[in-house]
Amino acid sequence: MDLLSILSEEWVIRGLIATSLVGIMCGVIGCFIVLRNMSLIGDALAHAILPGIYVAFIIVGYSTIGFFIGSVIAGLVTAFGITWIQHRVDTKNDAAIGIIFTAMFALGVIGISYLNNSEGVHLDLGDFLFGSTLGVSNEDIYLTLGVTIYTIISMILFYRYLFITTFQPTIAATMGISVKTMHYFLMLLLSFAIVAALRTVGLILVVAMLVTPPSTALLLSDKLKNVIIISGILGMCTSIIGFILAIIINAPPGPLMAVVATGIYLLTVVFAPGKGILAKAINKRIQRNKIEQEDILRQGIKYHKKEKLTAAMLIDRLGYNPKRLRRLLSDLKKEGLIVTSGNEVSLSIKGFEKAEELVRAHRLWESYQVNKMGLTEGQIHDEADRLEHWLSEEILDEVDGVLGFPANDPHGSPIPQKKHKPLNPLLKLRPSQSASISKTQINDFIESELWELGLMPNTSFTVTEIAADHVRIKQNQKSIDIPASLASQINVN
Amino acid sequence: MESILVKGLSVSYGQKRVLSNIHLNMESGNIYGVIGPNGAGKSTLFKSILELLEPNAGEIKVLGKEIGKVRKKVAYVPQKDEVDWTFPATVMDIVMMGRYPHKKILQRINTEDKTIAEEALNDLEILHLANRQIGQLSGGQQQRVFIARALAQKAEIFFLDEPFVGVDMLTEEKIIFILKKLASQGKTLLVVHHDLATVHKYFNKVILLNQRLIAYGDTTTTFTEENIAACYGPQLTILHKTGLINK
Repeated sequence: MDLLSILSEEWVIRGLIATSLVGIMCGVIGCFIVLRNMSLIGDALAHAILPGIYVAFIIVGYSTIGFFIGSVIAGLVTAFGITWIQHRVDTKNDAAIGIIFTAMFALGVIGISYLNNSEGVHLDLGDFLFGSTLGVSNEDIYLTLGVTIYTIISMILFYRYLFITTFQPTIAATMGISVKTMHYFLMLLLSFAIVAALRTVGLILVVAMLVTPPSTALLLSDKLKNVIIISGILGMCTSIIGFILAIIINAPPGPLMAVVATGIYLLTVVFAPGKGILAKAINKRIQRNKIEQEDILRQGIKYHKKEKLTAAMLIDRLGYNPKRLRRLLSDLKKEGLIVTSGNEVSLSIKGFEKAEELVRAHRLWESYQVNKMGLTEGQIHDEADRLEHWLSEEILDEVDGVLGFPANDPHGSPIPQKKHKPLNPLLKLRPSQSASISKTQINDFIESELWELGLMPNTSFTVTEIAADHVRIKQNQKSIDIPASLASQINVN
Repeated sequence: MESILVKGLSVSYGQKRVLSNIHLNMESGNIYGVIGPNGAGKSTLFKSILELLEPNAGEIKVLGKEIGKVRKKVAYVPQKDEVDWTFPATVMDIVMMGRYPHKKILQRINTEDKTIAEEALNDLEILHLANRQIGQLSGGQQQRVFIARALAQKAEIFFLDEPFVGVDMLTEEKIIFILKKLASQGKTLLVVHHDLATVHKYFNKVILLNQRLIAYGDTTTTFTEENIAACYGPQLTILHKTGLINK
């Protein structure tokens, strides 16, 4: 039989529905389990429900509802037992968990094995431990659906309480929110999820569904609501893929789901935007590039309108190898920050502005170190060299204010003053980028200058060249040179 | 107006007595500096008043009532190192928690709550950071977030446990400015503080504590050499260095 026709079989569809609900539920609840450092408790509760199944079977026989109630009771008894030992007995917290759950699990295994000796009884321990692709009844689906809806609704209703008792239990307590109640409420939800997972995932590996998708989601978002949603979706995908793979290779689904969950986790560890290994490496490279480019600009401003600055001088002063320097210079040129002619390098207006910002950062920080941190002139240069690349304009303005807007740095060199800049400056564009002249300019003078050049508001243009003393743009096939002093003040859309 | 009344409070952890027979009567409109050496029971005093732990003896009234009835009106800013900074929460999420005590289970956060939270952020000059994850803030900004949460709670009584540890000068000045403003509006503020040099500048009342109550009252008459010496005892050498005691 081919895969498609297997997937349309009724028992498979039932299994897929049940397992995706379980995935969602585990993913959602698991977020709080992970954030509360309770992974071990999750594992413990899963193991500990086995005696509940045994007792339920003795009382009511083979019944979905019976197993459900028995398991939830066993789960809660375990949660209470663990908490009791942790509070009343001098035993380490995680040891208390280990003691209780192994005992419960052992009782369950003994009980079920013993039952199987009697005639006409067949409870497959293996199915409970690792899950099974078969054996999902309609009853199971209704129960799982009900429990999933219950979980999601209570998550929405109690979101605030779960959030604050997880983040800062002390604060929750001072606000009159019962930390203990939320703890047991979460334990109840956790038992629900575990019981629902019993058929398809199995007890041993349900912890993978509780811990791995949330951990993956935590790498992907910084907002709890998003983390929960992503985790639920990942949980669902994981269980569907795992379940189908289990059918294909004819194995229990629990282990396959665990493997799929970990696979997705590992991919995320590498590729996650922001927190992934790759993103971090790329970011580090970008930062290095930025620092090296900025160091070139700083050299450029030293030589600005004095002697010629050549590539050879840059190699000599900054110690870059020639190939790397060529690469950096070509990037700077693409950004419109420098102008080159032959071997000579000089700053464009845009590059000059950028370099002045760096000089401002450097000199302000030097002043701060001397005036506010009590360092001497000899101690400050290297630190300022490093920090000039990192200090944001916001911080610099604050430093400037704290120092009382000084005119000179400790060495007596002038500190470039902050300029009144347009909101969306023309100079932020690169050569060959297009934009249009904004209707609002920083003053009337700029508007009349633009009018004289024939540049009306809302007319679009393309930047063709950013040179040392002018910016050349193209509007309706016509080239217009904007002088440097004007170019730096134009606002664009 | 009477704000907090503590009568005969005693607390021990196991065999260890931390606070013994404390009597205090705090009035609204004041900033109380809670001063004392390490292990003097300063945080324990806070936790007892907030009923986060059970005292061995004593009676505490907050705004004339049991704390359980006035929780809404009491804001607590814990020490910064008790926080998980990797938690997926934004600045706005945290400040919004200040609105939780005002909400019943089925009530949602509404625009009024948002406005209150934004005003609190604005008072601390961190409104632009509202969507930042809390781990991506400087120490000073982190402390501002928790002060903003206390403001958003619109409380009558504020407990701050070492709010100036690990924050920059600007933040420290900003926080003390806000505390003084709150006091002038008739709120009560209790601040656990370590820097003896700024006590006179920051607090109009002090509580000198070292397991027992050494003295409490107006800073000018209570924060004296004798009382400080009685409070710090064997740790006096530190005080010589700060120049508060010259002998």
